[in-house]
Amino acid sequence: MTLFTLKNINYLDILQYPDLAIPADKTTFLCGESGTGKSTLLRLCNGTLTPTSGEVAYSGKPIETYNPCLLRREVLLVGQSVYLFDLSIADNFKEYYTYRDLPAPDAETMRVYLDICAAPFALDSMCNTLSGGERQRVFLAIHLSLRPKVLLLDEPSSALDEKTAETLIGNVKAYCASERISLVIVSHDKGLAAMYADDIIILGGAEA
Amino acid sequence: MNDIIQLNLAQFALIYLLLIVVLAIMKKCKINQTRLLLVASLRMTVQLVLAGLILTYMFENPHPVFTVAYIVLMTGFAIHMVLRRNRGLNLRFQLIAGMSLAASGIAVVCFFIMAVVGVSIFNPQYTIPISGMILGNALTGVSLGLKAFTESIAAHRPRIDALINMGVTPHKILRPFVNSALETALLPTLNSMLGMGIISLPGMMTGQILSGTLPMTAIFYQIAIIIAISTVSCLAVFCSLFFGYRTLYNERCQIVG
Repeated sequence: MTLFTLKNINYLDILQYPDLAIPADKTTFLCGESGTGKSTLLRLCNGTLTPTSGEVAYSGKPIETYNPCLLRREVLLVGQSVYLFDLSIADNFKEYYTYRDLPAPDAETMRVYLDICAAPFALDSMCNTLSGGERQRVFLAIHLSLRPKVLLLDEPSSALDEKTAETLIGNVKAYCASERISLVIVSHDKGLAAMYADDIIILGGAEA
Repeated sequence: MNDIIQLNLAQFALIYLLLIVVLAIMKKCKINQTRLLLVASLRMTVQLVLAGLILTYMFENPHPVFTVAYIVLMTGFAIHMVLRRNRGLNLRFQLIAGMSLAASGIAVVCFFIMAVVGVSIFNPQYTIPISGMILGNALTGVSLGLKAFTESIAAHRPRIDALINMGVTPHKILRPFVNSALETALLPTLNSMLGMGIISLPGMMTGQILSGTLPMTAIFYQIAIIIAISTVSCLAVFCSLFFGYRTLYNERCQIVG
């Protein structure tokens, strides 16, 4: 089953992509040098960017046929720039849930997702006192707790040491596999890709 | 009450002597702005004399066309100033800000002149000074509001991106920025009301009292103009931002800036 198919994609004449298929219910790594359009590819898949020409299809239907906001709730992108409100971890969950018109999760649920993301911090810790890597994991935990169908992660381990990165990706992959969430990860870390990818797509190389 | 003492030219020229004090202090403190002082004083004098001549002519030959032309020019200038201070707005946003400023300004001026004062909108003696004050304050408000809005949008880009990616509607993401920019733009006007009459006798009232108006009449005018100014700032900023922020995203809920 194919999750995303990209055909003849050109973005602003800066990026041309080869035709790609990203499989469903798997962990796919997108690798490639800087500037090969890895982040842009994720944004084409969640509809926050529209290609200049070519077609992106999600679950067999062109992406323009989906309501953009509903699509993004289903195909959840955790971008590279982490944003947390200057509040406690628990209040950050609440704030994001309010924006999504969802009732806030209970403390137990928050704990579960923080643990999956290797972020076992107290729920009342203030986010502005956390380090960059800690914030990145809390940010991911909030997204994971929203239980999308597809999770797109853009450099999720960029601020983490090797060991934490492995734990994090291992946990997230196991969780996604058990919940049948398709996972697409952009990473420049080839070791991580070799360890956890079911499928690796390398951008740039052949064309460059 | 007596009529104001007419200044004769020789006496009037004495006031320029005060500038020598400024010059002396600037020399003493090595402030190399002598040229600016001279140019500024000269420009101020020439511009005001010109305005005086134009107004004298218009009052002696009142014609609706003159009044309308004056207001149109003032409005155009106000819009130009707002856009010059807020570069980087997209074209539709600029258009909306300009139209909001013009429409709110003219609506409040009309209400003030026709309903509150009760004279014709074409009466230059009332319409020109009143619309000057109202449009001037609308200009300050809209400039401030747009600046606060665009700066906070730029500063909160990661927050906007995170929420967009989470499938929140742009409307819901951007509205808090509209509200807080509106607040920023309104606060100076509201705060200035607090001290009015105690730490400041506003210019309009001072002018009217000098020219022989009864203080109570001057105060009623002053109160009316302050309320008009608050309203026009609020209305013009609200319309600019409320209709303007919708130009920042497209029908695919993508932020287009």
